[in-house]
Amino acid sequence: MLTYILRRLLYMIPVMFIISILVFLTIQLPPGDPITKMIENQRLQQGRVFSEKDIEMMQARFGYGDPLPVQYTKWIGNIVLRGDFGYSFYKREEAGKVIADLMPLTIAISLGSFIFTWIVALPIGVLSAVRQYSIADYVFTFIGFIGLAIPNFLLALILLVLGLTTFHTSFTGLFSSAEIQQAPWSLAKVWDLLKHAWVPMVVIGTGGTAGLIRIMRANLLDELHKPYVETARAKGLSEMRLLVKYPLRHAMNPFVSGFAYLLPYLVAGEAIVAIVMNLPTEGPTLLNSLLNLDVYLGGGILLLISFMTLISTLLSDILLAWLDPRIRYGN
Amino acid sequence: MADTLIDVKDLRIHFFTDEGVVRAVGGVDLAITRGKTLALVGESGCGKSVACRALLNIVHRPGKIVSGEIIFHRMFHQSSGSGSDASVDIAELNPKGREIRDIRGKEIAMIFQEPMTSFSSMYTIGNQIMENILLHTNLSKQEARILTIELLDKVGIPKPSRLIDEYPFRLSGGMRQRAMIAMALSCSPTLLIADEPTTALDVTTQANILDLMQNLQKQYEMTLLFITHDLGVVAEIADEVAVMYLGKIIEKSDVFTLFNSPAHPYTQALLKSVPKIAMTREALDPIKGMVPNPYSRPSGCPFHPRCPKAFAACKTIVPKTTSLGLHHTVQCLLYEDVTERQATEALS
Ligand SMILES: Nc1ncnc2c1ncn2[C@@H]1O[C@H](COP(=O)(O)OP(=O)(O)OP(=O)(O)O)[C@@H](O)[C@H]1O
Ligand SMILES: [Mg+2]
Repeated sequence: MLTYILRRLLYMIPVMFIISILVFLTIQLPPGDPITKMIENQRLQQGRVFSEKDIEMMQARFGYGDPLPVQYTKWIGNIVLRGDFGYSFYKREEAGKVIADLMPLTIAISLGSFIFTWIVALPIGVLSAVRQYSIADYVFTFIGFIGLAIPNFLLALILLVLGLTTFHTSFTGLFSSAEIQQAPWSLAKVWDLLKHAWVPMVVIGTGGTAGLIRIMRANLLDELHKPYVETARAKGLSEMRLLVKYPLRHAMNPFVSGFAYLLPYLVAGEAIVAIVMNLPTEGPTLLNSLLNLDVYLGGGILLLISFMTLISTLLSDILLAWLDPRIRYGN
Repeated sequence: MADTLIDVKDLRIHFFTDEGVVRAVGGVDLAITRGKTLALVGESGCGKSVACRALLNIVHRPGKIVSGEIIFHRMFHQSSGSGSDASVDIAELNPKGREIRDIRGKEIAMIFQEPMTSFSSMYTIGNQIMENILLHTNLSKQEARILTIELLDKVGIPKPSRLIDEYPFRLSGGMRQRAMIAMALSCSPTLLIADEPTTALDVTTQANILDLMQNLQKQYEMTLLFITHDLGVVAEIADEVAVMYLGKIIEKSDVFTLFNSPAHPYTQALLKSVPKIAMTREALDPIKGMVPNPYSRPSGCPFHPRCPKAFAACKTIVPKTTSLGLHHTVQCLLYEDVTERQATEALS
């Protein structure tokens, strides 16, 4: 098991290398060099003029004017060796700091919606399978398809309107006010976060929930009549113990592997929800940085998200191997 | 009858599917003698598996036991040595209830056809065998483990103290079937049902497993219900044979009578269709026709469309069980007074 994990960690190095090249090429794609572009933008929009010295400093720092491989080496070298992601021209802050500020909340929201998805989808999926074609099965199937059909941002909008009209609170953002968001972490801040965070968690979670219910139901239905279930029943196990120990355990795999796609799904797919709900997460920031040619911030986010996807893939694979001996033995 | 362990009376099991009702078992009468081996033979799809699952009341949806009795004559041994008979009708018990669950795996155990898939791949075989022991006895985990190792040794698994912690998919089919037998024996059942336990195995392994089962049956003084469609296996292990066709027992007798003087045309055809080494290819005589569609069973005698000796009455009159000897019964109009049957049929 340990060698398996070590091997997987080693594999990550070349994969990460390739990803970093792709990300680098992506941020080079817009025409012109980002620094000139930024200076131009700043001059046009804010009338801000950089001194020659500033410009030279920036160009030296990122190596503009050098051939691409050298630029790449400098960029990735700064990140790997010094954790320096470069400068966000749009936010006028170190890109690394912008990313670091958003990452904990992004992860919290993803985990929260994942847990929400699990808590809802698992029992409903099991119920729909065990009581196939019952009224409950039809009702949940119906609700599930509606959940699947409604785009999440629409659900977000509906909830926002409902919040404002009936509950007279705003469901946007993750904190009551900007002051709290800026304030250092405290119990009060966590409480405030919890009060706001459930709405986006539910909104983002529902999209996945409907799909997962269908997967769980189909998987479990496949397992329920397998010979090993009959063997266990012939031993005299009670139906509940039987269900939990055998078919449910066999049907769990897709649940666990879903874990790996959580972060990219949230950042890429749910950016619209995050924009609608004004969430301080990586998704909208990534979109903005790409729109504003804020290449270092965008590149840094892409790089980190890829890295964390690799990590969570590894985690879910370890979890799968732990759950399923066939995977452990490589069958 | 004192020496009858299980008495099945007019058992009917129907599957209620969207396409219609499948009468998988259509009125089976069968007595299983204590301590003997009864072989249940018949073509694929005739209802053998469904019928024997009913003995544990594990017929699953859309199947249902619609009528009939399965009287299980349990013996409770008392200190005086005499046993008292406490019968229970298995067909009547709640399939999810305590009572039937106490019988399953303890008094009636079952071995299934597919050694590959009959164990769960998520748990070690030790875990799955011990589960049965822990469920039905008061043994501790340690004791159950020791017992399991003993059982694995007994069924011929090498290095049992190591293999107990192996996962099923790491064992060969034969080993798995041995482990399955060990699991079935773990609580010393009165009745062991084996549903084609050797069909999925190669010939050598098949012979070994058959030997093993015969030995264990003697050792444990078990009653064995052996389901197969291999008449060679029947000849080797059975004391009695019941022949099933389309959900009915059409002939039952001791093994010698059945092989020497089969009464039912279906049994005769079945015996003729078995290849023998001395036979030429042309002499092999498969039963003509196909097994009828399960949704529309033939009227009258279910075998009449394929029967070489069928006559007009076979199309309309359902044969009754006729006794031909002490332990020999058959369901065929050849052995009934047809004119009398027609007369009674016309009256009603
Ligand atoms: N789930 C089900 N739904 C509908 N019909 C079923 C179902 N299970 C079994 N049957 C019907 O019951 C009949 C008997 O099946 P069974 O499995 O008992 O046959 P068998 O004699 O054991 O055959 P085999 O030798 O192939 O194991 C079949 O003809 C089939 O049509
Ligand atoms: Mg069968």
